[in-house]
Amino acid sequence: MEIDKKIIKKLVEALDELKKSLKDKDLSQIENSNVTKIEEEISGTIIKSPIVGTAYLAPEPGAKKFVEVGKKIKKGDSVMIVEAMKTMNHVPSSSDGVVKKVCVEDGQPVEFGQNLVVLE
Amino acid sequence: MFKKILIANRGEIAVRVIRACKEWGISTVAVYSDVDKDSMHVRLADESICIGSHQPANSYLNIPSILSAIELTNAEAVHPGYGFLSENYNFAKILEENKIKFIGPSSKHIKMMGDKIQAKKIAKENGLPVIEGSESGVSNLSEAKEICKKISFPVLIKAAGGGGGKGMKIVHEQKQFDELFSLAKSEALKYFGNDEVYIEKFFQNPRHIEVQIMSGKNRTVHLHERDCSVQRRHQKLIEETPSPVLNDIIRKDLFEKTVNMVSKIGYEGAGTVEFIYQDEKFYFLEMNTRVQVEHPVTEMVTGIDIIKEQIWIAFTGDTALKQSDIAPRGHAIECRINAEDASKNFQPSPGTIGMCHQPSGFRTRVDSSIYQGYKVTPYYDSMICKVITQGRNRQEAIQRMQRSLDEFVIDGIATTIELHQKLLNHKKFLNSDFNVGWLDNEKII
Repeated sequence: MEIDKKIIKKLVEALDELKKSLKDKDLSQIENSNVTKIEEEISGTIIKSPIVGTAYLAPEPGAKKFVEVGKKIKKGDSVMIVEAMKTMNHVPSSSDGVVKKVCVEDGQPVEFGQNLVVLE
Repeated sequence: MFKKILIANRGEIAVRVIRACKEWGISTVAVYSDVDKDSMHVRLADESICIGSHQPANSYLNIPSILSAIELTNAEAVHPGYGFLSENYNFAKILEENKIKFIGPSSKHIKMMGDKIQAKKIAKENGLPVIEGSESGVSNLSEAKEICKKISFPVLIKAAGGGGGKGMKIVHEQKQFDELFSLAKSEALKYFGNDEVYIEKFFQNPRHIEVQIMSGKNRTVHLHERDCSVQRRHQKLIEETPSPVLNDIIRKDLFEKTVNMVSKIGYEGAGTVEFIYQDEKFYFLEMNTRVQVEHPVTEMVTGIDIIKEQIWIAFTGDTALKQSDIAPRGHAIECRINAEDASKNFQPSPGTIGMCHQPSGFRTRVDSSIYQGYKVTPYYDSMICKVITQGRNRQEAIQRMQRSLDEFVIDGIATTIELHQKLLNHKKFLNSDFNVGWLDNEKII
């Protein structure tokens, strides 16, 4: 009986170790993804593309861009145009804020839901 | 005959031209943008060349790229289709200088008709009725007011170098005029680099009627008219021939005057002279110096292949058609199917097509470039397909169109098929009681 207990103890220990190593891995993975998520969340309001199309930063070629990094904008201001099938769709800002980052280049194809502008 | 033709276009019209070439044993070269590499026109052509990225300016409007493709493939002629470079006189001129045949009129005629003030002047000089208004560009306010007094309100202010509705202003009353005149001028300068505008009497609710022309060095013939009065924001949705509202006396007068004008200016190729029609009078609007989207309705009733006639005129200089041979039979209708959601204010609807079943059957024609699994990209026009039906009379053509649209299945994207089904059953459409303003003033879907 005693011998049996020892074997069981050993087995349990081995199992615990295995569990621990797995947990560490899982945890580190979860932590990693948390880090990136938190980073994005911290960076502020993200304005996403409402439609698939071509992004334009200015109302027409050569004209002044709708927004630049550091510019203060109000809710409803156009941040860019996304053209789909010859229709020009103005993308309005979802809130007041200061432009922290413009995520796309002029003339770049964008997909539905792609990040366009980050505000803070 | 030409041995090889390059088609400088995409979509259904590129497919349409390739089909005509194939039937005549002419080799075809397709050009395409990177996002179009799986397109039908690329698959059907004998050779294909990628000419740039998705933006039209980098590919389908990129003249140096297209010239390189011509040189690489030794194409002898270029068919421009409609849109893109089809009415670009500079492109036609470069081809002329390089001894490559542009399948269309000379660069001189494209330029002549591209300037709207000049086109109107030429039409008037050659006996076509034109819309009352200023004879040339108007630059100062007092001169503009003088014209308005003469023609009375409402008036339309248009940019001389304009098009596409930009820089166009409707003025209903005297008191709005000063403000809108200066606004039209500044917009004209902004969009077209030229603040020249002209003033015309504004027609509230006209019909849109146009005459198809084929013209060679030997003679000019007409292929009767098309009525394109079902429009939404100046975009045609349904076209038909013959027009249900013209009588034979007016029709004869319209054809005689149009043929006379086109032959007098020495035009060569296919062309369409557009008119507005109201209170039994027609007025010259503009001339399109290319093949049009709605050309199949004319083909259905006349039995003439307009694309092949274009190629023939480009090759020989003469038209093989005689007026006495042109005898349209019955009635034809075309519905343009767009990748748009009519219930959501015609929002564009790009995406991948799932199940796709196109209608067929007696006197039903589908000109399209879509297929099961094809990805409709957001980069180009939303028109993906045209359905054309012919009948012994208007009623049968409509019944056949309803039957055809009922068969049409396009899964995965929103299309205007349902809108067309509603229009074709609408009392106003059936009674031909509509004008170009109909869909802008009445909500159908």
